[in-house]
Amino acid sequence: METTIKVNQLSKSYATVKAVDNVDISVCRGEVFGLLGANGAGKSTTIECILGTKKQDSGRVSILGMNPRNDRKKLFERVSVQFQEANYQDKITVAELCEVTKSLYKTSLDYEDLLKQFGLSDKFKSQVSELSGGQKQRLFIVLALIPDPEVVFLDELTTGLDAKARRDVWKYLSDLKAKGLTILLTSHFMDEVEALCDKINILKNGKSIFYGTVQEAVATSPYEKFEDAYLWYTDEEEKENESI
Amino acid sequence: MKAFSTLFKTELKLSLRGMDMFIFAICMPIVMIVILGIIFGSKPAFDGAEYTFLEQSFGAVATIAICAGGVMGLPLVVSDYRHKKILKRFKVTPVSPALILAVQVAIYALYSVASLILVYAVATIFFGYQMSGSWLQFLGAYFLVMLSMFSMGLLVGGVAPDIKTASVLASVLYFPMLIFSGATLPYEVMPVALQKVADILPLTQGIKLLKAASLDLPIDSVLLPVIMMIALAVTCIGVSIRFFRWE
Ligand SMILES: Nc1ncnc2c1ncn2[C@@H]1O[C@H](COP(=O)(O)OP(=O)(O)O)[C@@H](O)[C@H]1O
Ligand SMILES: [Mg+2]
Repeated sequence: METTIKVNQLSKSYATVKAVDNVDISVCRGEVFGLLGANGAGKSTTIECILGTKKQDSGRVSILGMNPRNDRKKLFERVSVQFQEANYQDKITVAELCEVTKSLYKTSLDYEDLLKQFGLSDKFKSQVSELSGGQKQRLFIVLALIPDPEVVFLDELTTGLDAKARRDVWKYLSDLKAKGLTILLTSHFMDEVEALCDKINILKNGKSIFYGTVQEAVATSPYEKFEDAYLWYTDEEEKENESI
Repeated sequence: MKAFSTLFKTELKLSLRGMDMFIFAICMPIVMIVILGIIFGSKPAFDGAEYTFLEQSFGAVATIAICAGGVMGLPLVVSDYRHKKILKRFKVTPVSPALILAVQVAIYALYSVASLILVYAVATIFFGYQMSGSWLQFLGAYFLVMLSMFSMGLLVGGVAPDIKTASVLASVLYFPMLIFSGATLPYEVMPVALQKVADILPLTQGIKLLKAASLDLPIDSVLLPVIMMIALAVTCIGVSIRFFRWE
């Protein structure tokens, strides 16, 4: 199967911390890949190095066979991103933000449809700053989908959503996945990771401490439930380093 | 092109929703020209002058909007959009984050031109103003002033590490220039010592150019201001390109 995101031996340090330490990632078309780990584990830095918004110290990255720094314009017609932090103008409305986003791309989906699917059609004229946390998060997913991308990066996509809203998002992402969309996401919800991710990479202090499927993660741990296995990995990575 | 026009429309709406530029770039120059018109009417600029005080002040009042947009509006919006990671967000789209800067420059240019037209209309209709010089030269000087003020603003917005620094720097540039360059307080009523200090401000030089063009004065001392303005613009643009912080 075609590899859409390929990361080899990626490393990145800030002044005092090694934020990402020799991380490998390989994601095939139509797969959902989960980057897991506690706050500060290096997930966002990894994503930013993959996207080229931060420069890695070493390692190679390609998305859809392209280098994100050299082929930026071509690549980002087909790849879209939802960063962890919000980025929108003061006083901008939902419709305006969607319209501006749409105008940046050659091809795009009908955002009124997308807003409806995510239960935001009545917020069309509202200011983004007045939406609730969950509504904002859903809007950012809509924004990421407007360009009809082949690959999406979603950093902490469901943080701040209620249980029902999270389920709705999973369902929609599963549908997109079935249509061949490649998704790289970070999440703190293990039920979500279990439901969505084909493969996961668990990071701790920038290092990869588990790489494989959710089933493999459970099987190589002494636990039955994935959440327990995840906690076991993040607590006691030393034992398991060899098995990666 | 589609991206530019959509962004332009949206950013202009957002800017108008904010009101500050409407007040400082549109209302303030009109109030200023009305005050000067009422106080000085058609009095000559000085005893024996061939032109009125109002005619002499027109070029100066026309720069109020450039000053507000260039050294206040631009630095604040650039540092705000960097802080909000909007510039960074554009890096993961097919368009360059420079596009949103271009849009902002276009918006402030629009405010300036709108202000020029309104000030001219008010001065002409209510106070019998007439441009005795050449419009071509005046507009040339006007866009040169705009270029140098805007490049200063982009530099401040582009290199200031945070919004607070940007707004302090913007105020340090804006208020002295607004008051002492002749844009509001007429240069001619300042004591000579103050005029000497004011001459350091780039806007003072720009206003001298505009006055010379609008009053059709002899072009003896135009070269120095022109060189100063161009040098300032080139320096600021060069430094901005080299040191601009996108995030
Ligand atoms: N701009 C930065 N400068 C310095 N250190 C940073 C910066 N961004 C992140 N870090 C540090 O790098 C580590 C990884 O951060 P991050 O990638 O944001 O983790 P995560 O997304 O998994 O929470 C953390 O220790 C964080 O404090
Ligand atoms: Mg993060």
